[in-house]
Amino acid sequence: MNAAVPVPEWWGVALAAVLIVATAVVALRERLGLGRDIAEAAVRAVVQLVAVGFLLRVLFERAGIPGSLGWVAGMVVLAGSTAGRRARGLPGAVRAATIGIATGVTLTVGVVVGAGILEAEPRIVVPVGGIIVSAAMQGTTIVLARLRDEIASSRQQVEARLVLGLPGRAAFAPHRRLALRAAISPGIDQTKVVGLIALPGTMTGLIIAGVSPLTAIRYQIVVQYMWLGSVAISGLVASRLASRTAFDEAHRLRPLAAAPARRGERRRGPRWRDTRPGPG
Amino acid sequence: MVYVVALFVLADVEVTRGEGEDHVHPLAHVSMTIEAARATVVVGPSGSGKSTLLRLLNRMEEPSGGQVRLHDRPLPSYDVLELRRRVGLLMQRPVPFPGSVLDNLRTGAPALREDAAVALLDRVGLPESFLPRDAEELSGGEAQRVCLARALAVGPEVLLLDEATSALDPFAAQVVEGVVRGLVAEGVSVVMVSHDLAQAQRMADDLVVVLAGRVAASGPAETVLADPAAAPYLRGAS
Repeated sequence: MNAAVPVPEWWGVALAAVLIVATAVVALRERLGLGRDIAEAAVRAVVQLVAVGFLLRVLFERAGIPGSLGWVAGMVVLAGSTAGRRARGLPGAVRAATIGIATGVTLTVGVVVGAGILEAEPRIVVPVGGIIVSAAMQGTTIVLARLRDEIASSRQQVEARLVLGLPGRAAFAPHRRLALRAAISPGIDQTKVVGLIALPGTMTGLIIAGVSPLTAIRYQIVVQYMWLGSVAISGLVASRLASRTAFDEAHRLRPLAAAPARRGERRRGPRWRDTRPGPG
Repeated sequence: MVYVVALFVLADVEVTRGEGEDHVHPLAHVSMTIEAARATVVVGPSGSGKSTLLRLLNRMEEPSGGQVRLHDRPLPSYDVLELRRRVGLLMQRPVPFPGSVLDNLRTGAPALREDAAVALLDRVGLPESFLPRDAEELSGGEAQRVCLARALAVGPEVLLLDEATSALDPFAAQVVEGVVRGLVAEGVSVVMVSHDLAQAQRMADDLVVVLAGRVAASGPAETVLADPAAAPYLRGAS
């Protein structure tokens, strides 16, 4: 949009693919069994981003705020399905994840836009909404996967509380807190070192677009706080919903649904381990 | 005239797990009565359905057929949380919760006073100095006694013990047995699962022999011990 912004040409994009080749070489040499995943990810990134680029142009020029909110809603549904599937075996995980992410995104974006901190324009709502949906999805994924692991590993602890007459919600509360802590703590750590280890994406984008760094940081601070808020709210809602469906009407812990392990999953360690990037 | 008070009545109870060809019957056609204010010991080989039978009594397990009644009322007619406060359960292995012993005792009884907590510890043979100790740092025997005190803190009228002494050293097992006898003398009903026939003979007013998911014999201990239906197991276990 800004002719002065230095943007890579398409030949430069193609040349950057050499880094994907390097990634594939590492995977092959170390026999990680990830070659197919890397190729798929690289191709999908191009196809999806080209499609998204076209769609966003249409969205920004023609659809206005209703279209932008529809776009964010679509992202929420997709994120909920992704986060829920990550917690395979946990009853009602997709529903819990979708409602959790929707609540976190609605509240954080709603507060910031409603208070006039950020403007209600498609070119702001869509990218910032995307960052916040992504944060909420990653936080919710950790929460639900950790809850599932807690149910699998701590059934006796939970039952020991149930037999004292505690309701399922209370019997599971210590485990739910662990899951929520696991989701929120990395975000707190990232917020503590923001700007020191790497310049976050929003700020970087604004600086590349020619905005003064001192102006760009204001944007970044708002996004950083939204990131934390959405993780906390989404995680809280999703964990409460999942905790509720984890028990039957007689306050008994439901068995986890059997789910086949995905290829290479065991070698990757605990499924709730945080591997997410910082806010964009 | 002696009136026998039925505490629990199980009528043609069945427990099924799994579906289709993979389904199993941990319990099938179980009909029996458990009387109040007595020590009822359930014995049987591993995997015979003893623990499943016990867990039916506080609705940690649900029958797929038949009915379990407490004081002549179907179990589902009770509020399940209230039921579990009335029918306590001590598990096979101690499960101390993070926090102090006092925190543990207050898990099911948040209003428990410190002097009442000391009395509970005394009852299970532990000194007052245990109250502030980290429950997860206790030995197995100490932890199981804290778990017993924790179950008693709720004030149950029935206490279920699921092989609660099998993982304990002889001294701790003796203490638990002593507490159980004291409870029965006070009118608390006790139903305990055991694979130790000697313990069953020491403790049981009533004996239930479970074999392959069915009740082979039940009734007063001296009657069951002479019952030919239970003889193959009793001979093998003794």
